[in-house]
Amino acid sequence: MATTTATITLSSLDLLSDELALTTTSTLTNAGGATGVTQASGLSRKTLTYDSDAEIIHTALHRAGDYAADKANKVYIKNTSTTPAEFFIIKVGDESLGRLYAGDWAFFPWSATSGTKETFVVTATGTVAVGESWEFDGITTISASTALNTFAAAVSAQVYPNWTTTVSSAAVTFVARYAASDGVITGDTAITGDVLVESGDGNFTMPITGGTAGAGASSQSDISILPSVRTGMTYETMLIHE
Amino acid sequence: MATTTAAITLTSADLLTDALSLSATNTLYKAGSTVGLDQTTGMARVHLTATTVVDIFPQLIEASIAFENKSSWVYICNKSEDETEFITVKICEQVIGKLYAGDFLWMPWSMRESANANNHHGDITVAPSVDTGMSIEFTCINEGTEYPTENLATT
Repeated sequence: MATTTATITLSSLDLLSDELALTTTSTLTNAGGATGVTQASGLSRKTLTYDSDAEIIHTALHRAGDYAADKANKVYIKNTSTTPAEFFIIKVGDESLGRLYAGDWAFFPWSATSGTKETFVVTATGTVAVGESWEFDGITTISASTALNTFAAAVSAQVYPNWTTTVSSAAVTFVARYAASDGVITGDTAITGDVLVESGDGNFTMPITGGTAGAGASSQSDISILPSVRTGMTYETMLIHE
Repeated sequence: MATTTAAITLTSADLLTDALSLSATNTLYKAGSTVGLDQTTGMARVHLTATTVVDIFPQLIEASIAFENKSSWVYICNKSEDETEFITVKICEQVIGKLYAGDFLWMPWSMRESANANNHHGDITVAPSVDTGMSIEFTCINEGTEYPTENLATT
Protein backbone atom coordinates (compact mmCIF):
# COMPACT_ATOMS: atom_id res chain seq x y z
CA MET A 1 0.00 0.00 0.00
CA ALA A 2 1.23 3.44 -0.88
CA THR A 3 1.37 6.43 1.44
CA THR A 4 0.38 9.66 -0.26
CA THR A 5 -0.18 12.90 1.57
CA ALA A 6 -1.78 16.16 0.54
CA THR A 7 -1.02 19.29 2.51
CA ILE A 8 -2.73 22.63 2.07
CA THR A 9 -1.50 25.86 3.57
CA LEU A 10 -3.61 29.02 3.55
CA SER A 11 -1.82 32.06 4.82
CA SER A 12 -2.27 35.78 5.03
CA LEU A 13 -1.02 38.49 7.33
CA ASP A 14 -3.52 41.12 6.26
CA LEU A 15 -6.73 39.49 5.04
CA LEU A 16 -8.06 39.76 8.58
CA SER A 17 -6.98 41.53 11.73
CA ASP A 18 -5.78 38.17 12.92
CA GLU A 19 -3.23 36.18 10.96
CA LEU A 20 -4.51 33.41 8.71
CA ALA A 21 -2.20 30.42 9.02
CA LEU A 22 -4.02 27.21 8.26
CA THR A 23 -2.27 23.96 7.48
CA THR A 24 -4.09 20.70 6.93
CA THR A 25 -2.51 17.41 5.94
CA SER A 26 -4.50 14.46 4.68
CA THR A 27 -3.29 10.97 3.95
CA LEU A 28 -5.10 9.78 0.85
CA THR A 29 -6.83 6.50 1.59
CA ASN A 30 -9.39 4.31 -0.09
CA ALA A 31 -13.03 5.03 0.66
CA GLY A 32 -13.99 4.12 4.19
CA GLY A 33 -10.68 2.56 5.13
CA ALA A 34 -7.09 3.18 6.12
CA THR A 35 -5.54 1.60 3.05
CA GLY A 36 -3.64 4.10 0.97
CA VAL A 37 -4.73 4.80 -2.58
CA THR A 38 -2.53 2.98 -5.04
CA GLN A 39 -3.33 4.39 -8.45
CA ALA A 40 -2.67 7.67 -10.20
CA SER A 41 -2.95 9.08 -13.66
CA GLY A 42 0.42 10.74 -13.33
CA LEU A 43 0.88 14.47 -13.67
CA SER A 44 0.02 15.51 -17.20
CA ARG A 45 0.51 18.84 -18.94
CA LYS A 46 -1.20 20.01 -22.09
CA THR A 47 -1.60 23.21 -24.07
CA LEU A 48 -4.97 23.86 -25.69
CA THR A 49 -4.84 25.95 -28.84
CA TYR A 50 -7.61 26.65 -31.32
CA ASP A 51 -7.75 28.35 -34.70
CA SER A 52 -10.71 30.52 -33.76
CA ASP A 53 -12.81 31.46 -30.74
CA ALA A 54 -15.71 29.52 -32.20
CA GLU A 55 -13.69 26.33 -31.99
CA ILE A 56 -13.04 26.56 -28.25
CA ILE A 57 -14.78 23.63 -26.62
CA HIS A 58 -14.84 21.88 -23.28
CA THR A 59 -12.06 19.33 -23.06
CA ALA A 60 -12.62 16.26 -20.93
CA LEU A 61 -9.79 15.79 -18.45
CA HIS A 62 -11.13 12.78 -16.60
CA ARG A 63 -14.04 10.63 -17.79
CA ALA A 64 -16.15 9.08 -15.08
CA GLY A 65 -16.66 5.91 -17.09
CA ASP A 66 -12.97 5.11 -16.85
CA TYR A 67 -12.97 4.88 -13.05
CA ALA A 68 -14.85 3.15 -10.28
CA ALA A 69 -17.71 5.31 -9.06
CA ASP A 70 -18.13 6.63 -5.56
CA LYS A 71 -14.55 6.09 -4.46
CA ALA A 72 -12.09 8.37 -2.70
CA ASN A 73 -10.65 9.84 -5.88
CA LYS A 74 -8.82 13.18 -5.79
CA VAL A 75 -8.24 15.59 -8.65
CA TYR A 76 -5.53 18.22 -8.97
CA ILE A 77 -5.75 20.86 -11.72
CA LYS A 78 -3.54 23.89 -12.28
CA ASN A 79 -3.67 26.72 -14.79
CA THR A 80 -0.03 27.40 -15.64
CA SER A 81 -0.76 30.64 -17.51
CA THR A 82 1.04 33.77 -16.37
CA THR A 83 -1.45 36.19 -17.93
CA PRO A 84 -3.82 37.32 -15.15
CA ALA A 85 -6.86 37.57 -17.40
CA GLU A 86 -6.63 34.02 -18.71
CA PHE A 87 -8.73 31.37 -17.02
CA PHE A 88 -10.08 27.86 -17.36
CA ILE A 89 -13.68 27.10 -16.44
CA ILE A 90 -13.85 23.79 -14.59
CA LYS A 91 -17.00 21.75 -14.89
CA VAL A 92 -18.17 18.56 -13.18
CA GLY A 93 -20.86 17.10 -15.36
CA ASP A 94 -23.03 20.00 -16.47
CA GLU A 95 -22.26 22.21 -13.51
CA SER A 96 -19.56 24.86 -13.43
CA LEU A 97 -17.35 24.69 -10.35
CA GLY A 98 -15.39 27.84 -10.96
CA ARG A 99 -12.59 29.55 -12.80
CA LEU A 100 -8.89 28.89 -12.48
CA TYR A 101 -7.03 32.07 -13.32
CA ALA A 102 -3.30 32.27 -14.02
CA GLY A 103 -1.38 30.21 -11.52
CA ASP A 104 -4.46 28.97 -9.70
CA TRP A 105 -4.81 25.35 -8.67
CA ALA A 106 -7.62 23.22 -7.27
CA PHE A 107 -7.71 19.97 -5.36
CA PHE A 108 -11.01 18.24 -4.77
CA PRO A 109 -12.65 14.84 -4.36
CA TRP A 110 -14.37 13.20 -7.29
CA SER A 111 -17.12 10.62 -7.13
CA ALA A 112 -16.79 9.72 -10.84
CA THR A 113 -20.43 8.87 -11.21
CA SER A 114 -20.87 7.68 -14.76
CA GLY A 115 -23.88 7.55 -17.01
CA THR A 116 -24.96 4.60 -19.15
CA LYS A 117 -23.01 3.27 -22.09
CA GLU A 118 -25.05 2.62 -25.18
CA THR A 119 -25.14 -1.00 -26.38
CA PHE A 120 -26.62 -3.02 -29.22
CA VAL A 121 -26.16 -6.38 -30.93
CA VAL A 122 -25.62 -6.91 -34.63
CA THR A 123 -25.95 -10.43 -36.00
CA ALA A 124 -24.56 -11.75 -39.27
CA THR A 125 -27.58 -13.42 -40.88
CA GLY A 126 -28.35 -15.29 -44.08
CA THR A 127 -25.57 -16.17 -46.47
CA VAL A 128 -22.41 -14.10 -46.58
CA ALA A 129 -20.26 -14.02 -49.68
CA VAL A 130 -16.59 -13.18 -49.99
CA GLY A 131 -16.26 -9.44 -50.57
CA GLU A 132 -19.49 -8.41 -48.85
CA SER A 133 -18.94 -5.92 -46.07
CA TRP A 134 -20.36 -4.04 -43.11
CA GLU A 135 -19.23 -0.60 -42.03
CA PHE A 136 -19.74 1.13 -38.70
CA ASP A 137 -17.95 3.91 -36.80
CA GLY A 138 -15.69 4.48 -39.78
CA ILE A 139 -14.47 0.89 -39.84
CA THR A 140 -15.25 -1.45 -42.73
CA THR A 141 -15.03 -5.21 -42.41
CA ILE A 142 -14.87 -7.16 -45.68
CA SER A 143 -15.75 -10.82 -45.56
CA ALA A 144 -12.94 -13.18 -46.50
CA SER A 145 -15.04 -16.31 -46.18
CA THR A 146 -18.58 -17.61 -46.48
CA ALA A 147 -18.90 -18.48 -42.80
CA LEU A 148 -21.18 -16.14 -40.82
CA ASN A 149 -19.37 -16.80 -37.56
CA THR A 150 -16.03 -16.02 -39.18
CA PHE A 151 -17.38 -12.73 -40.51
CA ALA A 152 -18.82 -11.85 -37.11
CA ALA A 153 -15.47 -12.60 -35.52
CA ALA A 154 -13.79 -10.33 -38.05
CA VAL A 155 -16.24 -7.54 -37.26
CA SER A 156 -15.54 -7.95 -33.57
CA ALA A 157 -11.78 -8.04 -34.06
CA GLN A 158 -11.73 -4.54 -35.53
CA VAL A 159 -10.70 -1.61 -33.36
CA TYR A 160 -13.52 0.94 -33.30
CA PRO A 161 -12.81 4.51 -32.18
CA ASN A 162 -15.90 4.77 -30.01
CA TRP A 163 -16.94 1.20 -29.26
CA THR A 164 -15.74 -2.04 -27.75
CA THR A 165 -17.02 -5.41 -28.92
CA THR A 166 -17.49 -9.01 -27.94
CA VAL A 167 -18.61 -11.86 -30.20
CA SER A 168 -20.67 -14.97 -29.64
CA SER A 169 -21.21 -17.16 -32.72
CA ALA A 170 -22.58 -14.75 -35.35
CA ALA A 171 -23.64 -12.04 -32.90
CA VAL A 172 -21.43 -9.07 -32.09
CA THR A 173 -22.24 -6.93 -29.06
CA PHE A 174 -21.18 -3.31 -29.30
CA VAL A 175 -20.72 -1.19 -26.15
CA ALA A 176 -19.88 2.49 -26.32
CA ARG A 177 -16.54 3.44 -24.81
CA TYR A 178 -18.13 6.40 -23.02
CA ALA A 179 -21.52 7.06 -21.54
CA ALA A 180 -23.60 9.44 -23.62
CA SER A 181 -27.14 10.17 -24.66
CA ASP A 182 -28.34 10.78 -28.20
CA GLY A 183 -26.26 7.93 -29.57
CA VAL A 184 -26.74 5.72 -32.61
CA ILE A 185 -29.74 3.68 -31.46
CA THR A 186 -32.83 4.86 -33.28
CA GLY A 187 -35.24 2.06 -32.40
CA ASP A 188 -35.49 -1.55 -31.35
CA THR A 189 -34.01 -2.80 -34.61
CA ALA A 190 -32.08 0.07 -36.06
CA ILE A 191 -29.04 2.26 -35.54
CA THR A 192 -27.58 5.11 -37.52
CA GLY A 193 -24.28 4.97 -39.28
CA ASP A 194 -24.02 1.35 -40.33
CA VAL A 195 -23.63 0.47 -44.01
CA LEU A 196 -24.12 -3.00 -45.43
CA VAL A 197 -22.59 -3.75 -48.83
CA GLU A 198 -24.25 -6.87 -50.10
CA SER A 199 -23.65 -8.64 -53.43
CA GLY A 200 -27.19 -8.10 -54.63
CA ASP A 201 -28.85 -11.40 -53.99
CA GLY A 202 -30.36 -10.09 -50.76
CA ASN A 203 -29.26 -13.08 -48.75
CA PHE A 204 -26.92 -11.28 -46.36
CA THR A 205 -28.14 -8.96 -43.62
CA MET A 206 -26.81 -7.53 -40.37
CA PRO A 207 -29.94 -6.96 -38.27
CA ILE A 208 -29.79 -5.01 -35.03
CA THR A 209 -31.28 -6.21 -31.76
CA GLY A 210 -31.17 -4.91 -28.24
CA GLY A 211 -32.81 -1.72 -29.33
CA THR A 212 -33.94 1.11 -27.17
CA ALA A 213 -33.24 -0.83 -24.00
CA GLY A 214 -29.59 -0.26 -24.78
CA ALA A 215 -29.83 3.51 -25.06
CA GLY A 216 -27.23 5.51 -23.21
CA ALA A 217 -27.34 8.35 -20.73
CA SER A 218 -24.89 11.18 -20.33
CA SER A 219 -22.15 10.88 -17.79
CA GLN A 220 -23.03 12.73 -14.62
CA SER A 221 -19.59 13.81 -13.60
CA ASP A 222 -16.94 13.95 -16.29
CA ILE A 223 -14.43 16.66 -15.40
CA SER A 224 -13.86 19.12 -18.21
CA ILE A 225 -12.22 22.49 -18.71
CA LEU A 226 -12.82 25.39 -21.08
CA PRO A 227 -10.02 27.87 -21.80
CA SER A 228 -10.88 31.56 -22.00
CA VAL A 229 -8.67 32.22 -25.02
CA ARG A 230 -7.75 30.24 -28.11
CA THR A 231 -4.12 31.29 -28.29
CA GLY A 232 -2.70 28.57 -26.14
CA MET A 233 -3.37 27.90 -22.50
CA THR A 234 -1.63 25.17 -20.58
CA TYR A 235 -3.02 23.10 -17.75
CA GLU A 236 -1.61 20.44 -15.52
CA THR A 237 -3.71 17.73 -13.94
CA MET A 238 -3.35 14.60 -11.90
CA LEU A 239 -5.90 12.08 -10.72
CA ILE A 240 -5.17 9.95 -7.68
CA HIS A 241 -7.73 7.18 -7.46
CA GLU A 242 -8.69 3.76 -6.20
CA MET B 1 -5.06 45.06 -0.69
CA ALA B 2 -4.51 41.81 1.15
CA THR B 3 -2.04 39.14 0.19
CA THR B 4 -3.38 35.66 0.69
CA THR B 5 -1.67 32.55 -0.59
CA ALA B 6 -2.80 28.98 -1.01
CA ALA B 7 -0.20 26.26 -1.27
CA ILE B 8 -0.48 22.54 -1.81
CA THR B 9 2.05 19.78 -1.54
CA LEU B 10 1.39 16.27 -2.80
CA THR B 11 4.02 13.77 -1.74
CA SER B 12 4.53 10.05 -1.92
CA ALA B 13 7.58 7.87 -1.96
CA ASP B 14 5.76 4.79 -3.17
CA LEU B 15 2.63 5.70 -5.13
CA LEU B 16 4.69 5.66 -8.31
CA THR B 17 8.07 4.25 -9.20
CA ASP B 18 9.34 7.81 -9.12
CA ALA B 19 8.84 9.91 -6.01
CA LEU B 20 5.88 12.25 -6.10
CA SER B 21 6.78 15.69 -4.84
CA LEU B 22 4.41 18.24 -6.28
CA SER B 23 4.09 21.75 -4.93
CA ALA B 24 2.04 24.68 -6.12
CA THR B 25 1.42 28.09 -4.60
CA ASN B 26 -0.87 30.80 -5.82
CA THR B 27 -1.81 34.23 -4.59
CA LEU B 28 -5.54 34.81 -4.45
CA TYR B 29 -6.49 37.64 -6.78
CA LYS B 30 -9.72 39.22 -7.89
CA ALA B 31 -10.92 37.85 -11.23
CA GLY B 32 -8.58 38.68 -14.08
CA SER B 33 -6.37 41.00 -12.04
CA THR B 34 -3.45 41.12 -9.66
CA VAL B 35 -5.48 42.77 -6.91
CA GLY B 36 -5.65 40.55 -3.87
CA LEU B 37 -8.89 39.16 -2.52
CA ASP B 38 -9.93 41.07 0.57
CA GLN B 39 -13.06 39.42 1.93
CA THR B 40 -13.83 36.15 3.65
CA THR B 41 -16.60 34.43 5.52
CA GLY B 42 -14.09 33.46 8.16
CA MET B 43 -13.38 29.90 9.13
CA ALA B 44 -16.47 28.12 10.37
CA ARG B 45 -16.56 24.91 12.34
CA VAL B 46 -19.88 23.14 12.68
CA HIS B 47 -21.02 19.91 14.28
CA LEU B 48 -23.73 18.29 12.18
CA THR B 49 -26.02 15.75 13.81
CA ALA B 50 -28.24 14.89 10.88
CA THR B 51 -27.60 13.54 7.40
CA THR B 52 -29.60 16.37 5.90
CA VAL B 53 -28.11 18.22 2.94
CA VAL B 54 -27.15 21.71 4.13
CA ASP B 55 -26.13 24.84 2.25
CA ILE B 56 -22.90 25.95 3.91
CA PHE B 57 -22.83 29.46 2.44
CA PRO B 58 -26.47 30.52 2.44
CA GLN B 59 -25.58 34.14 3.10
CA LEU B 60 -23.60 34.57 -0.08
CA ILE B 61 -25.96 34.18 -2.97
CA GLU B 62 -29.56 33.34 -2.22
CA ALA B 63 -31.69 34.89 -4.94
CA SER B 64 -28.85 37.08 -6.10
CA ILE B 65 -25.84 36.34 -8.18
CA ALA B 66 -24.01 39.62 -7.95
CA PHE B 67 -20.70 37.85 -7.68
CA GLU B 68 -21.26 35.23 -10.36
CA ASN B 69 -18.04 34.37 -12.17
CA LYS B 70 -15.97 36.41 -9.78
CA SER B 71 -13.07 35.00 -7.83
CA SER B 72 -14.21 32.90 -4.89
CA TRP B 73 -12.31 30.10 -3.22
CA VAL B 74 -13.75 27.41 -1.01
CA TYR B 75 -12.02 25.27 1.60
CA ILE B 76 -13.86 22.40 3.26
CA CYS B 77 -12.38 19.85 5.62
CA ASN B 78 -13.98 16.82 7.22
CA LYS B 79 -12.65 16.82 10.76
CA SER B 80 -13.95 13.36 11.61
CA GLU B 81 -11.41 10.84 12.84
CA ASP B 82 -13.56 7.84 11.93
CA GLU B 83 -12.29 6.59 8.57
CA THR B 84 -15.73 5.34 7.54
CA GLU B 85 -17.38 8.73 7.95
CA PHE B 86 -17.65 11.06 5.00
CA ILE B 87 -19.44 14.13 3.79
CA THR B 88 -20.86 14.31 0.29
CA VAL B 89 -20.08 17.64 -1.32
CA LYS B 90 -22.33 18.95 -4.06
CA ILE B 91 -22.59 22.03 -6.20
CA CYS B 92 -26.19 22.69 -7.19
CA GLU B 93 -27.42 19.10 -7.34
CA GLN B 94 -24.20 17.77 -8.85
CA VAL B 95 -22.17 15.53 -6.58
CA ILE B 96 -18.53 16.57 -6.68
CA GLY B 97 -17.20 13.91 -4.38
CA LYS B 98 -16.88 12.58 -0.86
CA LEU B 99 -14.53 13.89 1.79
CA TYR B 100 -13.58 11.11 4.17
CA ALA B 101 -12.11 11.65 7.61
CA GLY B 102 -9.36 14.24 7.41
CA ASP B 103 -9.87 14.98 3.72
CA PHE B 104 -10.06 18.54 2.45
CA LEU B 105 -10.88 20.32 -0.77
CA TRP B 106 -9.79 23.63 -2.23
CA MET B 107 -11.64 24.79 -5.28
CA PRO B 108 -12.80 27.87 -7.13
CA TRP B 109 -16.48 28.72 -7.03
CA SER B 110 -18.31 30.50 -9.82
CA MET B 111 -21.55 30.97 -7.90
CA ARG B 112 -23.31 30.30 -11.15
CA GLU B 113 -26.95 29.50 -11.67
CA SER B 114 -27.47 25.78 -11.99
CA ALA B 115 -27.20 24.45 -15.53
CA ASN B 116 -30.39 22.56 -14.82
CA ALA B 117 -32.44 25.64 -13.94
CA ASN B 118 -33.40 24.16 -10.61
CA ASN B 119 -33.05 27.38 -8.64
CA HIS B 120 -29.95 26.23 -6.79
CA HIS B 121 -27.90 29.33 -7.64
CA GLY B 122 -24.65 27.42 -7.45
CA ASP B 123 -25.14 26.41 -3.84
CA ILE B 124 -22.37 24.36 -2.28
CA THR B 125 -23.87 21.78 0.02
CA VAL B 126 -22.62 19.03 2.27
CA ALA B 127 -24.34 15.98 3.71
CA PRO B 128 -22.81 13.92 6.52
CA SER B 129 -22.89 10.15 6.15
CA VAL B 130 -24.01 9.64 9.74
CA ASP B 131 -26.26 11.44 12.19
CA THR B 132 -24.11 10.72 15.22
CA GLY B 133 -22.24 13.98 14.89
CA MET B 134 -19.61 15.03 12.41
CA SER B 135 -17.51 18.18 12.51
CA ILE B 136 -16.50 20.06 9.42
CA GLU B 137 -14.61 23.25 8.82
CA PHE B 138 -15.14 25.54 5.88
CA THR B 139 -14.37 29.00 4.63
CA CYS B 140 -14.82 31.10 1.54
CA ILE B 141 -12.31 33.75 0.48
CA ASN B 142 -13.82 35.97 -2.16
CA GLU B 143 -14.30 39.30 -3.88
CA GLY B 144 -17.50 40.24 -2.15
CA THR B 145 -20.55 39.15 -0.26
CA GLU B 146 -24.12 40.12 -0.97
CA TYR B 147 -26.23 39.52 2.07
CA PRO B 148 -29.97 38.87 2.03
CA THR B 149 -32.07 41.92 2.73
CA GLU B 150 -34.03 42.30 5.92
CA ASN B 151 -36.92 39.89 6.26
CA LEU B 152 -40.00 42.07 6.83
CA ALA B 153 -42.57 39.30 6.81
CA THR B 154 -45.05 39.59 9.68
CA THR B 155 -45.47 36.70 12.06
